[in-house]
Amino acid sequence: MRKYFNIFLLTLVALASVTMVSCKNETEEIFDQDAITRLANAKQYFTDILTDQGGKWKMEYYANGDEPGYVYVMTFRNNGSVTISGENKWISQLNPDGSTYGSETSLWDVITDNGPVLTFNSYNKYFHLFADPDDITDPEALDDSDTDETGIGHEGDYEFDLMKYSGDTLYMSGKKYGINVIMTRLDGSIDDREYMDQTVAQADSFFKKVIPQVYLNLPNGKRWVVKDGYTSILTMYPEGSDSITTAEKHNVIITLDGLSFMNPNTFDGYTVQFFDRQADGSLLCRNDHQTTITAGPLNKVFAIQSLTWKADTSQMGGAFKAKLHEIINKLSGYNSSKFLSLQMAYDSKANSYSIIFNIRSKVKGKQVPLTATFKVNYEMINDNQLKIKYTGEMDDNAHFYVDADQGNCPAIIELIELLGNTYTLSTSSLLAPTDMRFVEDGNASNTIYWRL
Amino acid sequence: MLLVAIGAMSLPSCSEDKLGDTIFPDVDETLDPNSYTYKLDKFLKENYLDKYNLTFLYKMADVSTNMNYNLVPATYDNSINLAVLCKHLWFDVYDKLAGEDFLKTYGPRIIHLIGSPALNPQSGNEIVGLAEGGIKISLFKVNDMDINDPEMMNEYYFKTMHHEFAHILHQTKTYPNQFNTISVGHYDINNWQDRDDNQTASLGFVSTYASSEFREDFAETIANYIVKTDAEWNRLLELAGRGWEPQDDANGYTWYYCYFYYPNNDPNEEVKYISEWSFFTDVNEDGSVHRYFYDGNTGEVIEVYEVPDNDGVDGPDAILEKLNIARQWLKNEWNIDLDELRQEVQDRQSSYNIEELRKQVTDQ
Repeated sequence: MRKYFNIFLLTLVALASVTMVSCKNETEEIFDQDAITRLANAKQYFTDILTDQGGKWKMEYYANGDEPGYVYVMTFRNNGSVTISGENKWISQLNPDGSTYGSETSLWDVITDNGPVLTFNSYNKYFHLFADPDDITDPEALDDSDTDETGIGHEGDYEFDLMKYSGDTLYMSGKKYGINVIMTRLDGSIDDREYMDQTVAQADSFFKKVIPQVYLNLPNGKRWVVKDGYTSILTMYPEGSDSITTAEKHNVIITLDGLSFMNPNTFDGYTVQFFDRQADGSLLCRNDHQTTITAGPLNKVFAIQSLTWKADTSQMGGAFKAKLHEIINKLSGYNSSKFLSLQMAYDSKANSYSIIFNIRSKVKGKQVPLTATFKVNYEMINDNQLKIKYTGEMDDNAHFYVDADQGNCPAIIELIELLGNTYTLSTSSLLAPTDMRFVEDGNASNTIYWRL
Repeated sequence: MLLVAIGAMSLPSCSEDKLGDTIFPDVDETLDPNSYTYKLDKFLKENYLDKYNLTFLYKMADVSTNMNYNLVPATYDNSINLAVLCKHLWFDVYDKLAGEDFLKTYGPRIIHLIGSPALNPQSGNEIVGLAEGGIKISLFKVNDMDINDPEMMNEYYFKTMHHEFAHILHQTKTYPNQFNTISVGHYDINNWQDRDDNQTASLGFVSTYASSEFREDFAETIANYIVKTDAEWNRLLELAGRGWEPQDDANGYTWYYCYFYYPNNDPNEEVKYISEWSFFTDVNEDGSVHRYFYDGNTGEVIEVYEVPDNDGVDGPDAILEKLNIARQWLKNEWNIDLDELRQEVQDRQSSYNIEELRKQVTDQ
C-alpha cells in the first residue's frame, strides 16, 4: 500500500511541475529603444558624420593581406553621390594616358544590415577595381605571364560595417572579407589631386630601393631587419637570425602622417601598428612612443658596400672647397684635364673602399674619361662619426695625375687626407639617408655633402 | 478526482499580451528631387514600379546575390542604358503583343543589375543572367556593356533578357515533355563549357549552353530565335547540318573543322583539315559543287571535301523541332506569337537610338 502511495505522491509532484507553467511575460529591456529605431538612428548618425564639414575623408584601404594599403580621398554628399580619388599603379591601367591618378563620382549609402553599413553601391572604376573579379595583370610586371586568371580579383571589399567613430576617425570592417579600414576626416577645402600627389611623394620618400635594409628599433635595444620597404610589403626578421626561416611579411600603407601596418603586430613582445613621420625622417611608433624605424647608424649606412656616394661639389665648404679649386686649376694645365666628379665606393675586386676622381683628359689627342682610384679605410668613431683614412695605395691613373713627374697635383692627396679627420654625419632622412653631410669635428667650416 | 482538480487548477491561464504597434517605421516612398539619382529613380518608379510592381535594382544589393561570387555594382551610366533598353526591347514589346496585363501578372518582380559576371573560378564559367523562382532576374556583366557592339549587346543583354524571361514563363506553366526527349543523351551538364558551338549545333542545340540541360535548352532556343537575325539563324542551321572534326593546334586549343583535303590529292595521305575561308568554290555545269585551294608550296590545286556528319543527329531538324514546340507552347499557353514577337524585337533592336532612349531619363 505504501508503495502505491509513494507512486501517487510522485505522480502528483510530477503533474504539478509539468502544469505549473510560468506566466511571466515581461521581457527585460536592455535598450531604451527598439532595434529598428536604434538602427535607423545609427544610419542617420553615420550619414551625418560622413557628410559633415564638407564630407571629405581619407580612406586607408586594404584589398587583402598580401598587397599594400592604398590611400583614397572621398567626398560624401547629401545627395547620395561620392567622389573618389586615388593614385596608384592599378589606376594607370584604367587611364588611356597611363596616369596613375583618377577621380570619379559614384553612389554611396549607409544601409542597415546587421548593423549600419557604408556601401559604395554603384561602380566607381578607381575604387571597385579591387573588388572586380577580372583578371589581374600587374602594371609593373615585365609581361603578362603572371596574370592572375583565378576569377576572384583582389578580393577587396566595397561594403563596410561601421564600427566606431572617434576623434574624427571612422573605424570600419570590410563586410565580406573583414579587413579593417580606417577613414579620417580631411579639411573640406583640400584639393584631391594635390593631396594624392603629396601622399605619393611621401610614399616615394620613405623607402629607397638603393638602401638595402632599414631597422625596426625596439625599446629593449633589439632590432628587426626591414627589407623591401619600397614595395610597402615589408620583409622583417630579428637581426642576427636566419632570414630564410624567421622572415615575416607585413603589408603597410603610407599616408601623409606616416606608416601603418594593416594590423597590430608584435615584435619581441612590443605591439606596434602606427608610425608617425618625424622631422628627421625617422618613423616613431604612435602606440608606445619609443619604437622607431630608421636606416641605422649613419656611418654604417655610408659604409654599405653596394652604395656609391657622389660628392656635391657645389656644397663643399672650407678646406674641401679650397682643395677642389686647387685641383681644378692644376689639372686644367695638364693634358687639358678637367675634373668631373668625386665618388666614394667599395671595390669588391680589391676588397677595399675607394675614393674615385673622375677626370677627363686628353690622351693621344683624344679627350677620354679616366678614373683615378685611391684606397681608403673607414674608421667608425660612434654611430654618427667617421674617419676615412687613406692607405697610400693608388692605381696607375691616380699616379698619372699625382706624381711629381706627371700631373703633379698634390692637392688630390691633400683633399683625401682631409677626410682622415673625424666627421659627424647627418642626413635629411634617417629612414632613407640618400644624402649625407660630413662636418669636421672642431672645424665646422670643413664640410662635404654626398648623395646617392 | 484529486488529480483532476490539481490539473484543472494548474492549467495555464496566462492572458495574451495585446500586440503593440509595429516597430517598423513607415517607408517614405517620396523621391527626393535633390538626389543624385532622382531622374533615374523617377523613371524606374513610373515605368517599372508603378506599372508592373517591379523593383529595378541598379544599386548593388549584395543580400540579393550569391555571396560566394565576387561581384561588383553596375555603373550608374550603364544602369540608365539598361533601364531604357529593358523597357524598349522587352517590356514594351510584350505590352504591345500580349497586352499590358501580361507582364503585370507574369513579369518578374525584381530586376537586379550587377556590374561583373559571376565567375566560377573552378569551372571557368561565367553567369551572365539568372532567373530565380519566377520572381527575380539578375543581369550580370553590366559594366562591360558596349552599346556600339550589337553582337555583344545581343549575346550578353538582349538574349539574356529573353532567356531569363523564358525561364520565368516555363517555371509558371511547364512546357511539353516532348521537348526534353529530342536531344536526350546529348546533354552534358558538367562539360558543356568545353564544347564548341559548331559541335553543339550539329547535335541540335542553338548554343553550347543549350547543350547543358533541357531547361536551358528550352530558354536558349526561344531567346536565340528572338534575337538572331534571319541571316544569323539560317547560318546556325547551316552549321548544324555539317559534320565537324576536332583538331588541336600547336598551343593546345581545339578547333572544329568541317572541310578536309588529301595532301597532293593523294587519298593515301593522311587527311588535313581546312577552314572554309581558305578555299574557293566552283559550281560545274551539272550543278555539282567542288571546292579547291591552291597549295602555294607545290603549285597544285587541291580538292576539298566536306567532313561527314557522323554524330547521328540531324542538327537542323532537331533545332527546328524544338523551336516548333516552343512556338506552339507560347501560342497555346500564353497566346504569344513567337514570330511576331521576334519581328517586333528585331525591328526595335536594329533601329533604336540609345541617346534618344536615354532622354526618357535625362530630359525629365
